[in-house]
Amino acid sequence: MTISNLYIKLFREALKIRRVEERIIDLYPYDKIQSPVHLSIGQEAVAVGVCDALRTEDWIFGTYRSHALYLAKGGDLSLMFAELYGKVTGLSQGKAGSMHLAAPDVGMMGSSAVVASTIPHAVGAAMGAKHRQTGQVNVAYFGDGALEEGVAHESLNFASLHQLPVIFLCEDNGFAAHSPVEMRQSFDRQTLLETYKIPTTLIEEGWDFEKISKVMSELVEDVRQGGGPKYLEVKTYRAREHVGPGEDFDAGYRNRDDYEHWCAHDPLILDQDSVALVEADIKQAIDAAVLFAEESAWPGRAELMTDVI
Amino acid sequence: MTMAVETMAYREALFETMDGALAQSEDSFIIGQGVDDHTGIFGTTLGLAEKYGSHRVMDTPLAEEAITGISVGASLNGMYPIMTHIRADFMLLATNQIVNIVAKYHYMFGGLFKVPMLIRAVVGRSWGQGAQHTQSLQSLFAHIPGLTVIMPSDSASILTAYPHVINEITAPVISFEHRLLYELDFAIDRQQIAETKDPLASQLKRRGDDVTIVATSVMVLEAMRAADHLAPFDINCDIIDLVNVSHPDTAMIIESVRKTGRLLIADTSWQAYGVAAEICRIICEAAPSVLQEPVVTLGMAATPCPTAKTLEDMYYPDLYDLCDNICKLVTGLEEHNIDLPAKEPITDTYKHFRGPF
Repeated sequence: MTISNLYIKLFREALKIRRVEERIIDLYPYDKIQSPVHLSIGQEAVAVGVCDALRTEDWIFGTYRSHALYLAKGGDLSLMFAELYGKVTGLSQGKAGSMHLAAPDVGMMGSSAVVASTIPHAVGAAMGAKHRQTGQVNVAYFGDGALEEGVAHESLNFASLHQLPVIFLCEDNGFAAHSPVEMRQSFDRQTLLETYKIPTTLIEEGWDFEKISKVMSELVEDVRQGGGPKYLEVKTYRAREHVGPGEDFDAGYRNRDDYEHWCAHDPLILDQDSVALVEADIKQAIDAAVLFAEESAWPGRAELMTDVI
Repeated sequence: MTMAVETMAYREALFETMDGALAQSEDSFIIGQGVDDHTGIFGTTLGLAEKYGSHRVMDTPLAEEAITGISVGASLNGMYPIMTHIRADFMLLATNQIVNIVAKYHYMFGGLFKVPMLIRAVVGRSWGQGAQHTQSLQSLFAHIPGLTVIMPSDSASILTAYPHVINEITAPVISFEHRLLYELDFAIDRQQIAETKDPLASQLKRRGDDVTIVATSVMVLEAMRAADHLAPFDINCDIIDLVNVSHPDTAMIIESVRKTGRLLIADTSWQAYGVAAEICRIICEAAPSVLQEPVVTLGMAATPCPTAKTLEDMYYPDLYDLCDNICKLVTGLEEHNIDLPAKEPITDTYKHFRGPF
């Protein structure tokens, strides 16, 4: 196997995200992070591949499971840990926490705990980009469950009607919390999107950040040139429980075999040579970020009452 | 005497501010169901799509939640959205975006973002509008931190508030416009409008020593008519137009009640958990001793709005009810023997409105 520059760059990014979340798991029992965490372990390659295809000034709107997205888009690690710790030095002075990461300076424009609620934001931002002719591409990043929400359909319709520069990115891990897709969707997603006249692309290899980056880059270029909205779906696998740091293969709604199938493809597990190459730098960065969070002050009454209106 | 006073219908004032907003900035746009059609939101956007283009005055699919979310995204990207709902009831379809997103985008991310926008919602009344075309939902949204909720009660209030909201306020504002007001002519004083220091502040509309009336929207007009009727009987009303429902001028209310000792609240919605309840909270917490009598509140019957005219006329308080309540409160007598106006629904009084909606 020949290793490309792109591969090692994306590998480093994906491994960093995994190690960050493994650190969160380590810290969680100590109540350092007093809020729900929705981990992306197993899904890192999607965020990394997608964001690699975007410019800093392109915008992306995420979900409550956005640690990976935030970091892949270029978000600062220390500010993120401080935010998870609820410290005043955090991105949002501790008012956001894990579920609402945002960093407008790198185009991470918000993340919501209400499923599908950020999809129209990307569409509206795309309308602004089209109106102001900025050439910016906007991405709505969501899970498969989001396509059951009414607002997703309203947004797809509007984006297609006005041929807006937006990409709908469906990260399909097969479950909405613990409900499998066959219990939730009477429709076929590709057919649904075709009904809205939005071209679809499907990637089965959700571990392959290089492929995701290449496919996404083509879509981004098309959208940037005025080609109208696109839909990209990437199959992936959530390794941890829906919310929280643990595993849940004994809960009865899925089994470990599926997980092991995905592990058998996961370069972050298989490619230990590359792990060895980048591991030390990543650990150092995480140590520094955690230390920054540990040593930062708590927000107080001034923060509580500011920025309401 | 100034020569600046002119007359303008509420609808005309709305049109002027909509036209002005589009002329002022290339990045402003009006979005809502039917904004570009031949009725133009009851005349308030009529012809603007032709003047500014359909990309600035956008008709929409029937998709209130997405349209609100799209407005959030557009606002983040430097646009100024003005959303319209021809009935406030339809805005409930956008409640997730308004409450979970719009109200929180500034605070939840620690001030990283601002989402300035104006949401215009029309409150219907009469001509058989029924349960789902009549709700006056100001308290529902004023309850949520992060939202500013206003109810301009006349043309001057529109001309004062809207340009300020659109050009100066970097936060979301929801405005409830009462349909009954649209065709009414109001005196406006351009100079006074230009000199208004706080365009969204509660306003003392009339001075009197006997009773404080805190009112919203069309009930301000009713309070003014009641005050006119009762003045010959030496009952004099202080009338406060709340204007800013979410951020009322509490000092103004307390000072007025300190003077009159009596408080009547007349709102366009239900009393429970609403404006009436909130004004009572303000007085009870800050200055309960200024009350010489128990508070009186007027609002709609605690039912959904019925359609039949006989029921509708009972559902809304009328001028007779308002005057009767004021007289009882001021005299302290159930049998006050003051001549009351004929029992006539205000929709018969404001004869301009003839449906269908």
